[in-house]
Amino acid sequence: MKILEAKNITKLFPGVVALDSVDISIFRGQIHCIIGENGAGKSTLIKCLMGVYTPESGEILINGKSAIKNRSLFDKIAYVPQEIDLFPHMSVAENLFMPYDKTGISGLIRQKSLEKRAILLLKKFKIDVAPWDLVKDIPISAQQLLQIARATLRENFEVLMLDEPTTSLTMEDTQSLFDIIKAIRNQDKAVIFISHKLEEIFSLGDVLTVFRNGKKVAHESLSDVDIPWVISQMTGQDIDQKQVFWSEKVQDESLLEIQNLTGEDFENISFRLKKGEILGFSGLVGAGRSELMQAIFGYLPVYSGSVRLEGKAWKLGDTNYSVENGLVYLPEDRKGQGILPLMSVRENLSISALKRLLRGCFISARQEEALANESIATYSIKTPDAENLILYLSGGNQQKVVIGRAMNCEPRVLIFDEPTKGIDVGAKTEIYKLMKQLAEEKGIGIILISSEMDEVQKCSNRIITLYRGRLSGEFPQGVSKEELMSAIIGQHQNQS
Amino acid sequence: MKHKKAGALNVLVEALKKSSITTISFVLLIMIVIASVSSPYFLDSYNIQALIRDLAFVGMIGMAQSLLLLVGELDLSVGKIASLCGILAGMMMVTYGVDPYLALGLALILGLVFGIINGLLITQLRLNAMVATIGMQGVYGGINLVLTKGKAITGIPESIYILGKGTIGFIPIPFFFTIAVAIFILFLVKKTKTGRYIYAIGNNKEAAKILGIKVDRIRVMLYAIVGLISALAGILYVARLGSSQSSIGESWPMNSIASAVIGGVALTGGVGNPVGALIGSAIISIISNLIVLLGVSVYWQSAVSGFVVVLAISFSSISTILAEKRQKKVKLSVTEEKGQGETS
Repeated sequence: MKILEAKNITKLFPGVVALDSVDISIFRGQIHCIIGENGAGKSTLIKCLMGVYTPESGEILINGKSAIKNRSLFDKIAYVPQEIDLFPHMSVAENLFMPYDKTGISGLIRQKSLEKRAILLLKKFKIDVAPWDLVKDIPISAQQLLQIARATLRENFEVLMLDEPTTSLTMEDTQSLFDIIKAIRNQDKAVIFISHKLEEIFSLGDVLTVFRNGKKVAHESLSDVDIPWVISQMTGQDIDQKQVFWSEKVQDESLLEIQNLTGEDFENISFRLKKGEILGFSGLVGAGRSELMQAIFGYLPVYSGSVRLEGKAWKLGDTNYSVENGLVYLPEDRKGQGILPLMSVRENLSISALKRLLRGCFISARQEEALANESIATYSIKTPDAENLILYLSGGNQQKVVIGRAMNCEPRVLIFDEPTKGIDVGAKTEIYKLMKQLAEEKGIGIILISSEMDEVQKCSNRIITLYRGRLSGEFPQGVSKEELMSAIIGQHQNQS
Repeated sequence: MKHKKAGALNVLVEALKKSSITTISFVLLIMIVIASVSSPYFLDSYNIQALIRDLAFVGMIGMAQSLLLLVGELDLSVGKIASLCGILAGMMMVTYGVDPYLALGLALILGLVFGIINGLLITQLRLNAMVATIGMQGVYGGINLVLTKGKAITGIPESIYILGKGTIGFIPIPFFFTIAVAIFILFLVKKTKTGRYIYAIGNNKEAAKILGIKVDRIRVMLYAIVGLISALAGILYVARLGSSQSSIGESWPMNSIASAVIGGVALTGGVGNPVGALIGSAIISIISNLIVLLGVSVYWQSAVSGFVVVLAISFSSISTILAEKRQKKVKLSVTEEKGQGETS
């Protein structure tokens, strides 16, 4: 039975047609997957379906009635955003039942009864925290599950929309989440599932709708199609899934040497990075990979151990020193640590190269513009013009700006922390090619942190695994997934 | 025809967009028109001169305050730094017989030092700027009282009066200092590397650190500049009054923040043009001037001027909302035209 239907909706934004006459129907008892590259219109579509945006034309029907005219119908749609939006300084139970009137709690709020109800839910969702824990103190994966639990608490919700819910979940958590989603489907509710991870879509979904450039390009039952077909529909071209991107020009010269480094979340780490090499770092969420790299970069403190770049002793704890001496870190948290949201693409690109653009004391406007336009062309950044605020770009294009900016510092070592998080297949391949090119042509040493095993396998000349803050293995390119996996979960015996 | 129109409109919108102070300048113009219509004395040359002399001080401090607002911080001790530097300059001149201009120079350096102290406390001890500077204004104000026992220092050498009371042509001399400060700050934020870093810090402090920007150094530098400009305003005020008084600058912390906000500088950091604060201070000065000219009861003056300031802040935020809507519409019509162009 049709529960939610969009008819011929069109949504315009400054400079772009975000949705172009889109029709979509959501049925009860189905998991409806939506896929598309960044900027394809997925987020705009779900915001229209939720009533956050009102489309310029077209109609949204919930249970056959127009929801644009009768906005209370939008209450039937529960939504879990991609980013965590919980209240960090409030307890798990309080977060679960907020807003109280929409979760069937009225009048005075009694802490005890809230906590009792919370315990049942936490069990059901297999979230291993206490109701009175503060949200800021529980792991990110638990927070993510909590958001989903909260969404399902809305009284009489009929459609559950999940926007990339698994980006910060471990594999176990992902599995238990999938069981919950399937249970919700079996209660005759509809689920809309948005993800970039194709394997997840195939293991979970019933039907699939593909978006490209604001248009619906395909709609099929998932049992009738395969991964290469989906990719070709998404990108409009055929991408070779078996293609590898590791560097062909690894030089013998060692570039970066880490000796017995210990910090808050990692212990006794030693490794070497060669010129022109891509070194992959694999591990579970919370294994200490990002913390290790941020410490090497000087953003987090180091307790003991040493770092040498090209044989020279390295000053730790000073990001300015690191950047000036050619060690650049590209953060995983693009929004929180990467972009300068209210500044233009031009300003975001030039910020790391201002020294070169100075005419006396002042920045040369002409040279800055030239640099910005050159970077926009080199990294094929899609933007109406260089003056557009970076905030308005899609995630993939923001990432390209961040990479372009890093390249403007003329780095010798680049640390990519989850460079393709939340980025579509087409743009991912572009970023892999870029990494390979940087390593081969400029002899840059690249460290790649990624939670996607595929990505690490395709791109790395060597892979190092971390388990609970310690090295748990080192593998050459072409290692099997099974071997890698056992090291990631701490089962591998290191031969050395 | 249609295309030409859209093009001209586009250029206008682009210009509007480029300068955040355009809209607030319109508000200032409207205020001037209203003021001159409602009181025949407003455009009197004596009144205008007094007005300009008045806004020179708040304008200067407002622009300095904007620098801190741009990185998401503020300094509430500006008024007390100003009066303390005025007192110290006065004591040097009157009690110790230091050459007047040397005394003024030393007072400026002291202002710089007070600013650096604020900055080091806030960055090194990781204090909240608001709370720390509330504390420090107590300290500076306290030293002030200890030194003067609350009495004004009179007998300031008349050779410096010209700095506060003099005019060049029609324009009061303090206003030339304000213009100099405006030019300095404008070049600093719009043209230099440091200026770009200031906006970057205000946009995203963590990203700025990861970019290798020396965030704390820039913050201390900004507090130092604010201290210096506060001291400048303080000693110019001493020259204007002909005596050093501990009450100098009492209204400056709040008025400087209000004029910055009216001028379009965001309290959250990263957005706005400090020179907008100069226009904001002009608006505030016109308001208080007009209240006096219209003979509003003394008891009502503070309430009325407060209300009008809130109104003025809403003006700028309402105009931003309208500008955004207008921009959206223009861009939409452009895309539609493009779309039609492609299909035809």
